[in-house]
Amino acid sequence: MPLAPKSFEIFCGTGGVGKTTLATSRALNLSQSGKRVLLVTIDPAKRLKDLLGLSSESIGEVTKVELEGVVLDALLMSPEKTIARMAEKYQTPDLVENKIVQILSRPYGGMNEILSLVEMQMQFESGAYDCIVLDTPPGAHFLDFLEGIGKIRSFFDQNFVEIFSYLGQKTAKAGTKVFGLGIINRIVSGGVRKLLGYLQNVTGAQFIDDFIQAIQIIYQSKEAFLKGLSLQDKLKIKEECNWFLVTSVEQGKAQEAIELKSHASHFIHQDHYLVLNKCLEEELRDWHPESHNLLQIKNTLESKEVNLKIRLKESFPVVLEFPEVISLSPLEHIHFLTKKWNQYVV
Amino acid sequence: MNSTPRRLYIFTGKGGVGKTTLSKAFVRYLNQHDHEAVYLTFKNQSLGDHFLGNSETSQNGMKEISLDLEECARTYIERRLKSGLISSWIVKTPFFRALVNMVPGFSYLIFLGKILEMGKDNPRLIVVLDAPASGHALTMVEATTNFKNIFESGVIFDDTSKMLSRLNDPEYTQIHVVTLPSLMSWQEALELRSGLKERTPVGVDITVNNCLYPLVENELNALPINIRQKALNEKSLVEENRSEMQCILPHSLSTDPRAIEMDLLGSLSKLI
Repeated sequence: MPLAPKSFEIFCGTGGVGKTTLATSRALNLSQSGKRVLLVTIDPAKRLKDLLGLSSESIGEVTKVELEGVVLDALLMSPEKTIARMAEKYQTPDLVENKIVQILSRPYGGMNEILSLVEMQMQFESGAYDCIVLDTPPGAHFLDFLEGIGKIRSFFDQNFVEIFSYLGQKTAKAGTKVFGLGIINRIVSGGVRKLLGYLQNVTGAQFIDDFIQAIQIIYQSKEAFLKGLSLQDKLKIKEECNWFLVTSVEQGKAQEAIELKSHASHFIHQDHYLVLNKCLEEELRDWHPESHNLLQIKNTLESKEVNLKIRLKESFPVVLEFPEVISLSPLEHIHFLTKKWNQYVV
Repeated sequence: MNSTPRRLYIFTGKGGVGKTTLSKAFVRYLNQHDHEAVYLTFKNQSLGDHFLGNSETSQNGMKEISLDLEECARTYIERRLKSGLISSWIVKTPFFRALVNMVPGFSYLIFLGKILEMGKDNPRLIVVLDAPASGHALTMVEATTNFKNIFESGVIFDDTSKMLSRLNDPEYTQIHVVTLPSLMSWQEALELRSGLKERTPVGVDITVNNCLYPLVENELNALPINIRQKALNEKSLVEENRSEMQCILPHSLSTDPRAIEMDLLGSLSKLI
């Protein structure tokens, strides 16, 4: 079964299915094969932290982790730290100062997804890694977000030049020096002015001022954002990226996985894998309980799992199965999974 | 039923823990006890190319509402600006779409506004929200505070403040974190609960769903090793943390979602 390592390896899933553990074991396996690997998690549950023994000071910083006989770089996403890195790299210090940007880049401020792309792009550009393994936040959200990227890009489009001309006027009045005012001023269209006028009616004038400042600052960093967003193009290419959709038998959610896939059909290419974790089938097959109660439990669990696999195999070209290994310690568990990947590697 | 139910129940927790089945069963439970409850979800969390619209269906006497972001945004702006034309124009502008899609918190503000509006229009209505998976529940709860801080004055500020006072009213809102009986899920549920508690003063209770051990407790030695270990882990987890668990629900041997809902009905009084 061809499962060649790629520059980007993305783990999506519903959460609680062992996604972080699987992503970590994949990163370790790649690392063992000699790749330079960065493991990134933007899962707000911060489970990776416990698993890898990372301290809270390491949040937002690339940290070396020694496990399974290899040293691996790991990064727990912190939107705030990413903003700071962007500001430094692209020399836009205002980015860290703006109130709206600050509020939105709080851990749950809602910019995790876009900033994780920007972060991955910056890390990839550094040339330090052969593979970046991303453990995404649970649910369809990350895929939704990628689907919406076209619209976010348009935020930075030429079409918005009129907005910035309007903003330029505003700040010019306040005595701030703004980019290319002379020319842009002449192409002011009434549309944006009207939109902001209506908005002002409902949002209050202070917001409009803060907002204009935030837009201007974000616009100044547009190179960073656009580069981050352009990562999506790489993720669409088979040679650049592996997609892993993770689900578990326990959660029995074939429908969710299938919807996740159809949802993401625009950019998920042929190299995508359904990872089915916590399989009990092998163990159940060899179990012959005597009591009626246990027999009923065995049959229910077994038939749920078999039906789940049938449904998944109808929709996914490759299903990677990982068994439930609850009797092992977390470290033994990681060891087991890391080895298990060998079975699927070319 | 002893106590008066709240007006908004938010069921959250990671995907696949049975939130949907449980919140639907809870709507049935409320309806059986002569309350007017609806099951509510969000259809989308970003503005797409095609207009979907809110939808309302009725299944076996249970009302299900699915909210569409664009329609909710449009009706809000329309009410505020008193013009349907301007509001349809605003939500169609690429600028507005880009803004909403870039900042997911914004969409929650729009949805929560709509839910509270529904509650105002019908004072008897109880909304049971099948909320997005865990991290995003925090985004959702935090959205109102964040946007209140962003808008310092104006109509949206007033609206957001009103929303916040209702959302943060323990008599109005109750949050249920749903989880599975494994150590990792439990720790996540505790983490989520404390995250929510930091952000809102309303009640946050944990329900442990899908417990296998009550079914096999008397025959542990006859189980294969991993399943026995699973049952034992569940049992000790529940015994150690019982006081923190509002509701403990056994694994259902039914396979059909509706049959599972029915299996749950008898155990839901603690969720009120």
